[in-house]
Amino acid sequence: MSDDNQVNITINDQPVTVPKGTLLVDAAKEVGVEIPVFCYHEKLGPFGCCRMCLVEVEKMPKLTTACTQTVMPDMVVRTESPKVVKAQQGVLEFTLLNHPLDCPVCDKGGECPLQDNTFKFGSGTTRMEFDRADNDKVTPLSPVITIDRERCIACQRCTRYSDIIEQEQALVMLNRGFKNEVHTFCDEPYATRYSGNVIDICPVGALTNTEFRFKARSWNLDNAETLCAHCGCNCNMTLGSRTNKLMRIQTRPNDLVDDGWICDKARFGYDFIESEDRLLEAGTVVGGARKKVNALDAAVQVADSLSKIVDEYGPESVGFLGSAYGTNEELYLYQKLFRSVLGTNNLDHKTYQDTPGLPIDHYDFLNVETANLVLLIGSDPAEELPILDLRIKKAVTRRGVKLAILNDQKTALDKFAELSSTYNVGADGAALSALANGLAEGGAGDESVTGISAEQMKSLVELIRSGKKVCVVYNPASLTGNSIHMLKHLLSVIGKIPDIECGAIPAAPSTNAVGAMDMGILPDFSPGGTPADKGLSAMEMIDKAESGELKALLMYRSNPVVDFPGGKRVEAALKNLNLLVVHDMMETETSQLAHIILPSNGPGYDEGTTTNIGGRVQYRRRGLNTKNLPDWKIVSKMINSLSEEPVEYITSFNVTEEISEKVPGYGEINKKSIRKEGKTREPVTSVNGSVPQVEKVNSADQGLKLRVATRLFTRDKILSTSSPLAHHFLPSTVNVHADDAAKLGFSEGDEAVLSANGAEVRAKVEISNRCNPGAVIVPMVADDQGVQGLAGGGSVSWVEVKKG
Amino acid sequence: MFTFTPEDEKQIEKIVGKYPVKRSALLPLLTLVQRRDGYISPEAMKAIGGKLELSPAYVQSVMSFYTMYHTHPTGKYIILFCHNISCQLNGADDLLAYTSKKLGIDVGGTTKDKKFTLHREECLAACSGGPMMRVNDVFHENLTTAKIDKILDSLA
Repeated sequence: MSDDNQVNITINDQPVTVPKGTLLVDAAKEVGVEIPVFCYHEKLGPFGCCRMCLVEVEKMPKLTTACTQTVMPDMVVRTESPKVVKAQQGVLEFTLLNHPLDCPVCDKGGECPLQDNTFKFGSGTTRMEFDRADNDKVTPLSPVITIDRERCIACQRCTRYSDIIEQEQALVMLNRGFKNEVHTFCDEPYATRYSGNVIDICPVGALTNTEFRFKARSWNLDNAETLCAHCGCNCNMTLGSRTNKLMRIQTRPNDLVDDGWICDKARFGYDFIESEDRLLEAGTVVGGARKKVNALDAAVQVADSLSKIVDEYGPESVGFLGSAYGTNEELYLYQKLFRSVLGTNNLDHKTYQDTPGLPIDHYDFLNVETANLVLLIGSDPAEELPILDLRIKKAVTRRGVKLAILNDQKTALDKFAELSSTYNVGADGAALSALANGLAEGGAGDESVTGISAEQMKSLVELIRSGKKVCVVYNPASLTGNSIHMLKHLLSVIGKIPDIECGAIPAAPSTNAVGAMDMGILPDFSPGGTPADKGLSAMEMIDKAESGELKALLMYRSNPVVDFPGGKRVEAALKNLNLLVVHDMMETETSQLAHIILPSNGPGYDEGTTTNIGGRVQYRRRGLNTKNLPDWKIVSKMINSLSEEPVEYITSFNVTEEISEKVPGYGEINKKSIRKEGKTREPVTSVNGSVPQVEKVNSADQGLKLRVATRLFTRDKILSTSSPLAHHFLPSTVNVHADDAAKLGFSEGDEAVLSANGAEVRAKVEISNRCNPGAVIVPMVADDQGVQGLAGGGSVSWVEVKKG
Repeated sequence: MFTFTPEDEKQIEKIVGKYPVKRSALLPLLTLVQRRDGYISPEAMKAIGGKLELSPAYVQSVMSFYTMYHTHPTGKYIILFCHNISCQLNGADDLLAYTSKKLGIDVGGTTKDKKFTLHREECLAACSGGPMMRVNDVFHENLTTAKIDKILDSLA
């Protein structure tokens, strides 16, 4: 065997063959030899500051650190020789020099590398008999992280994480020698989007979860290996509970999805599970008052009422508004109820247009790293898909991947981009068309329409052409009108460039956006992207409810009163319905209008599969117990009460089995195949749509175009004011371009009133050239900000901006 | 408010131009600001970070490693008093205490008239002439109380 890329070495007399460049510490794992470490972390790379991993290498005069030494041919390594044992004991004696003996009360106790290494490799005694250093025991680094300075061993894992992984350099070591301490700049809060990961990687009990501090011992926790239910990344996490109470959330590394990290919304954003606003009981509203009923009885009542309305007014008079927050099982059953049993195609889960299937490969997270070029279209991963944001940063800073951005707003990733072009708000169709034409036959589009200069367009075209392997990441939710079809056209154009390998990630922000489309929660597609007769889209359903043609709507985990463009108009339309059923886990503005309420268990209590933006289907395990029925049981009760062939499901996996049978692309998905790392579903077939005409942006007489931007930490039903993440909440802000600010006479910090569509939103002016002139960006900071009320019906909304 | 003067900007451009990567210019820029203001304020750290695409925290981290960068306003004359082995064996501790008492300030402090700042410093590489102190850029060796009196009195 003479593979050039393999190296043969001997560790403790055992032969090992590993790839060139492997570190000794990792090579040892191959033969089950443990080399203790503190500062080394496989995601952070070699550092060698803690000296714990000293090993003896034959022909090297001194001991060497196994975390910095790569394997060399025929190396003979010893990790248990007397010399090494003595060194390990000495290092530990030093490391414990000032470490307090508070293991019995320390949160890390029981899962602490320092504790474990001391037991395994320490001498059991110390020669240091003087007093230990007396440092601060409780210093908040941020409202969610507390540092115990006495316990810190200055391994610098956290500071390197901040520098290398999140690329923020927010945590640093200040001072030197004994005074070496972890700090932020001038002790400002350490408030990045991914700060909580330092708690997990801290090898001692220095960085602790403020919420979890002193609440439970790690060995008493019931740990559920589950998924995050916030965004479309579906990061793997461990939900630790005790006596059925949520205690903490930790990372559960899955390199195919999250690369070992979760964002702070995943870690600290689950207290809604125990919120007072939970909908826990089914109810019917009689004479304005809600009456508690049995959930199954309510389900039967819903089914009967819907079926009566179908009998009386026809199947097109009922509709289903789902959301991408449900699991595949729940959404599949609802799809079955409405499409197969009630016979309507009025199903949707979103207010934008989207179609399942891609004309090119469906890429996953690993492809972001292996690509030569990542082309980001209309996406703001930092706010929408934080862990994708980390993956892109990794690709750019450590894998040499180039990043090109095409967006209507500036984002946090711009500084990592080779090229960042900003198209005019609402001109996405024109910009995508210009790029597609540029790639196909040259040309740069009309700058006065797109807002992108011919020169920039040309550079972008060049960058894509020379890309070799291009990974397109696009957010369908940011595209206006029918631009999604133009985007799919662009994708097929990129696919036709000779000598180019390419694929795309449909990066819609919601948890199960890809799954919802696969399960056929679409007006024009059945499960698996099979075309169906066109029913009403979400916005059309609101229109028809307004005009009285739609009689009944079932809302599943959807809150259109706040989340749909239109505000008051949506509310009025819903009030117009004969029957409004709301199946949700939280009390919402919409549930207040409902005639029948069904409780949904939601994340933590529910179980089922979700499909992430990379097309990976994973199992979201139940972490907490509830007496309430699972959602799929409620829906299956509805189906069975109407269907002539009732199907009884014993567990949620029975529904998964049916999905596997019935939904194209999900054939390989079953309990076993998705158990560990999940499984990628077969890409949904793409339907070749015709290339659409670019929609002309309707120009208003006055005002500016409105772009509502997504924010990760929004004060909504998930993160309330009592959330540990409340320090991230922003006041209502409007980003105005300097040119427009000059015209309108605004200066930074002025109070502005935005009005349109009969609604008003007050906001603080921030003069930033976040978008091109002629538009404003309003980040959605809170439900009660009411910014969606400003949006009208058209593909682009106009607002009047005045001084407040 | 911290700002760079046009003269500073020219200097910065020249310094940054010397290095293949921007961050290498961090120490020279810190020195530039300290020579101008006598110390480096948090605003200055932010401004320097902005110039070199480094976070303010990173700038503070590097700066705090070096004891000769000052974070608080200093006097016209900064006295750095060596207390390492050669100087100490020759009575540096007593001389430092004497200077501290004479100026009426603690070690690390600045006189009310903003004339003197006194610091204890690690080895300044003048062991053959210990005890020694550095006043701004000048080394004073083989110190005695009389010599210290003379030096301090001569400074306007």
